[in-house]
Amino acid sequence: MVEQLSPLGQAFRPGSHGNFANGVGVTLSEIAPGSIVQAAAWPGSEKKMMAAIASVTGLKLADGAGAGAISERHAAFGFAPGKFLVTDVFEGLAAALAGQVGPAIGTATDLSHGRTAIRIEGPKAEWVLGKLFAVDFEQTAFPIGSGISTVHHDIFAQIQRSGADRFDLYVFRSFARSFWKMLCHAADEVGYEVI
Amino acid sequence: MLITCPYCGPRDVSEFAYQGDGNRTRPDPASTDGDAWHAYVYERLNPAGPHNEIWQHAGGCRAHLAVIRDTVTHEVSSVRFARDHGAPAHVRRKSGAKA
Amino acid sequence: MSPRRTPSGGRIDRLRTIRFTFDGVAYTGHQGDTLASALLANGVSLLGRSFKYHRPRGVLTAGVDEPNALVTVLRGDVREPNLPATMVEIYDGLVAVSQNRFPSLNYDVSAVNQLGGKVLSAGFYYKTFMGPVIGPLKGTRFWMMCEHFIRRAAGLGRAGQAPDTSRYERMNAFCDLLVVGSGPAGLSAAREAATSGKRVILAELDPQFGGSANWSGETIDGEPASAWTADIIGELKEHANVRLLKRTTVWGYYDGNTLAALERVSDHKAAAAKGAPRHRHWVIRAETVVLATGAFERPLVFPGNDRPGVMMAAAAMRYANQFGVLPGETIAVVTNNDSAYRAAAALNKAGATIVAIADLRPEISDDCRNLARECGAELLVGHAIIGTEGGKSLKGVKVAHFDAASGVLAGEARNIQAECLIMSGGWSPTVHLASQAGARPVWDAELQAFLPPEPDKGWLGAGAFKGSFSTAECIVEGFVAGRQAAGLAQIEVETRPHIEPAALDPRPAPVFEIKAKGKSFVDFQHDVTADDVRLAHLEGFVSVEHLKRYTTLGMATDQGKGSNVPGLAIMAEAVGKPIPEVGTTRFRPPFAPVSVGALAAERFGDLKPERLTPMHDWHIENDATMYPAGLWFRPMIYGDPGETVEQAYVREARTTREAAGIVDVSTLGKIAVQGPDAAEFLDRVYSNVFSTLPVGKARYGLMLREDGMVFDDGTTWRLGDNDFLMTTTTANAGKVMQHLEYFLDVVWPDLKVHVTSVTDQWAGAAIGGPKAREILASCVTGTKVDNEALPFMGIVHGDIAGAPVMICRLSFSGEMAFEVYSGAGHGMHVWEALVEAGKPFGMVPYGLEALGTMRIEKGHVTGAEIDGRTTARDLHLGWMLSKKKPFIGSAMMDREGLTAPERLELVGLVSLDNRPLNGGAHIVLEADPENPHGSLGHITAACFSPMLGKYIALALVSAGKSRHGKRAQVSDPLRNRFGPVEIVSHHFFDPEGKRMHG
Repeated sequence: MVEQLSPLGQAFRPGSHGNFANGVGVTLSEIAPGSIVQAAAWPGSEKKMMAAIASVTGLKLADGAGAGAISERHAAFGFAPGKFLVTDVFEGLAAALAGQVGPAIGTATDLSHGRTAIRIEGPKAEWVLGKLFAVDFEQTAFPIGSGISTVHHDIFAQIQRSGADRFDLYVFRSFARSFWKMLCHAADEVGYEVI
Repeated sequence: MLITCPYCGPRDVSEFAYQGDGNRTRPDPASTDGDAWHAYVYERLNPAGPHNEIWQHAGGCRAHLAVIRDTVTHEVSSVRFARDHGAPAHVRRKSGAKA
Repeated sequence: MSPRRTPSGGRIDRLRTIRFTFDGVAYTGHQGDTLASALLANGVSLLGRSFKYHRPRGVLTAGVDEPNALVTVLRGDVREPNLPATMVEIYDGLVAVSQNRFPSLNYDVSAVNQLGGKVLSAGFYYKTFMGPVIGPLKGTRFWMMCEHFIRRAAGLGRAGQAPDTSRYERMNAFCDLLVVGSGPAGLSAAREAATSGKRVILAELDPQFGGSANWSGETIDGEPASAWTADIIGELKEHANVRLLKRTTVWGYYDGNTLAALERVSDHKAAAAKGAPRHRHWVIRAETVVLATGAFERPLVFPGNDRPGVMMAAAAMRYANQFGVLPGETIAVVTNNDSAYRAAAALNKAGATIVAIADLRPEISDDCRNLARECGAELLVGHAIIGTEGGKSLKGVKVAHFDAASGVLAGEARNIQAECLIMSGGWSPTVHLASQAGARPVWDAELQAFLPPEPDKGWLGAGAFKGSFSTAECIVEGFVAGRQAAGLAQIEVETRPHIEPAALDPRPAPVFEIKAKGKSFVDFQHDVTADDVRLAHLEGFVSVEHLKRYTTLGMATDQGKGSNVPGLAIMAEAVGKPIPEVGTTRFRPPFAPVSVGALAAERFGDLKPERLTPMHDWHIENDATMYPAGLWFRPMIYGDPGETVEQAYVREARTTREAAGIVDVSTLGKIAVQGPDAAEFLDRVYSNVFSTLPVGKARYGLMLREDGMVFDDGTTWRLGDNDFLMTTTTANAGKVMQHLEYFLDVVWPDLKVHVTSVTDQWAGAAIGGPKAREILASCVTGTKVDNEALPFMGIVHGDIAGAPVMICRLSFSGEMAFEVYSGAGHGMHVWEALVEAGKPFGMVPYGLEALGTMRIEKGHVTGAEIDGRTTARDLHLGWMLSKKKPFIGSAMMDREGLTAPERLELVGLVSLDNRPLNGGAHIVLEADPENPHGSLGHITAACFSPMLGKYIALALVSAGKSRHGKRAQVSDPLRNRFGPVEIVSHHFFDPEGKRMHG
């Protein structure tokens, strides 16, 4: 099988950058999961969709907007009414989900190539993201596991909080390099390391 | 201006796209009533005061919202999903709270 | 030792000396100085020239309300004009220069404007630049020429030409409570709220927290006010839920309790820290705002009140107490209220001689008498200042008897020598933010001030903002507001804080102006005098809004912080109405000037993010000239060395038609349309039928808007019973997506269809040309691509170089062509494999220009023809309008105007003079370069056709089809291009489509 090529290209420069003399505020990385799939339920079938996600990934999602969960291998969160983003370290999730999601429940759409997953982690992650998104990133408002949909000017982003100071951002692949540059620029102030 | 998306919570107006007067009803697709079509496509209410509007949370969950907004004060008194006709008006949640 | 620096005292760091220059002269100051305090300490009193009259001006205030002392700060070639010296913190190497003077601050030629003062009075422009002038400068030209010179003479600092290389950032913040102002009221509010665990942001525009506590000289419960402040700040820093922002001006109060603030992160440093912005634009969403913004002291209006050395009383006190600077050795005072006595006492304590206190009131309290006596001042009750003396610095003042009730002066004027005159005309609460939020200030006759109304929105007030001027009231009100905003139960304040010295009476006498001979300034920055205000009234301007615009009162960069109320009072007197009936203007953002860079923040350079296809780096490596298409970047040509654009695209198009070419089509909009009702949905949104499309086939579709105009076109592929892949034009991808979402969400919520943008999921490479099939066959595995396996509009799945691909045989170029879709992450891999496979066949990569050329040759429409004004029939696409079903646009498309015979129709044009044609050029029957007229339509796209060997174009021409075979003219006056063309069918090349059907 052919490996996916990162869209970040030369913009991905491993090492420490910006104002890192006193340590870095965040680390930035590309997660590159094998699968990114949108699972969308018809109104009224949300529970069945959540059950399908659970049966494929083992992740149990709570009720409510933006609820999500993470495991070593998978991540899932709601980002719109009846819609979930589900990821897998390995390829093949779209087919697996499609097998569980019949036309009566909803649809599964493979976005494994279409979205780029970028991780920002560190004590200054909220601060750096606050520069780019008009969203409250504090943990009380944005609990671990949950997700949101938002936009930085023209760049849509679905964001899951995957740890106390860790966020996974899913952006359109064609914007990924441009967004990565903006993220690096925003992180200059606190110092960042690309890994 | 903030609009409290029933799914995403309160968000900046810059995430939303105005999608027009919410008082219109589309005629039956097969209708040949020219006046009805004209009214639907071209005629808009323009009240000074509370107004039914359709907004899309374009920079968020992408849902279309039926919003009642006061065109004088910008006060948003009700937000609900446009697809849920007749659903109760949305009550503003605490900042950033999840349902 | 600087001449005016006190030997001790102040909150500056005397051990740290800072060197800076002003107008090229080197000075020193101390850490903690502003440019204004440092210059005053050095005995510099002349800081600028006024706006219209070029009068010498000094420092009037000590804060953000400064109208006079505006300077330009230079950093290399970058100049930032119009900064109040009172807000500029000095740093080593600071270079500041004065403004609006020529050739120098001391000798300014335009100061003669003062002599012609009557000429430049209110409404000068409106009255002067009117009326006829005869001769070559007829009409307005003469006045425009005059204006050029006058505008140069009048004005503020000059903007620079050098690009600003500073970094600016935006920050979004959320809090339960935003406290604006960190004086005793704000600090008290923040402290209460902090203990509740609520999220608190405290914003202070000064470089240090504490507000008046830094200069009041008071003690709070026995400790100096500044120590009290430091304790609270220390406490607040312990709270993780509190964010403290100094040098942060909250300048805008918007709907939904969204506030804008500007943090001056690096202006006080010689250089910004690595990666740190110069300014940070805060957008703060607060549940509740506590406004503890204090009050501004108002100037008194009297002749010569603008002379350098005349200063606000509280500002003078601040210079003495906070900066250890005396604005003069000998100081006179003029006041209509008690507060100036405290200033006099402070200045006296710091070493100044208070020569006289002229109090406008007929009677004063014992407290004031005692203070006057303590500082050894001659007390002149019932006296006014009627003039000032000196040139560029004050030498003395003229005092006369004054009756506050009538405003009448009496007796001989008396001269008093003084280097400085401090004045107080009462206090105006800083209600700007509340006013921006929609609150209508209420006039308080006792305090002679506009106070905020009872809050009914998302804000609360505390302290001087509410007209509570004593520190004890500030602390108590802050306490109450902080608890209320944090949702805490109100508790009884056990003991009011004990403040020494005790508060004085805050009520001023209702006197705003002392009428005497000479220019009395109301708005110092815009040079608006009391006479200007009265003139405006005489000329019929009675509304305060008109007054403001006619005289420009309050419209300068200080936005009338000091001048507003005096201006209103003078207007009210002229009109003969009480002040509240004249009304006040509503304050608008910004409260103080905001750098444009901060608003742009990270959106610098071309301001747009870039959207790149998976093959972008290949295009760059292969010398493509990239072309922006919306946010996308697409190859325009892959030029060989020495080739012109035309030579390159002609070569690319010709090679494609002769052998093969490959083009990156990844930018086409792609939308997954999925669900049991997907086919039904497509039947409704497309003008033609899709429900009959078999799985594994694609169909060209046309969408109309509701009004019957063409909206977009593209192919849609049926990948499964419930699974379609729709393609849209690159430009309309977002609009089509939104259109589909709208109908699914709002109009047909019962349809079970999901639409998802998968533009970025797929890389697309289109290969076309007579050799295309052979090339494909040589590299694809897992499927055949012959006519049987892959007929026209068929879809097959296979692999190329190990990557799965989906191939659809469709053609935009008119050639035998295939669109090869792969996962975007495999796009480069597949592209390179295709390029490699094409080498033996002479395949070339081609760009947008060749793509456009081939589509023009074929007469395919695109964005230039689908311009929102064309119908399907205009574009000869009437055959795509199904009669079997209604669809979006079907009800409106047959309206009379949309079927009229004279409508513009798509045609082809051939240049008959063998010269290029241009998009946008008009088509006429007879060209008339002198008087272009008679347009029949216009060219939408043009190229050199390698297959015809001619310059051709597509055009929209009235009744176009009926003109086939006829001659016309292009009329393109902008490019001076006129010449004959022949109108032909838009199908220039291979009209039967033999090549693509193969």
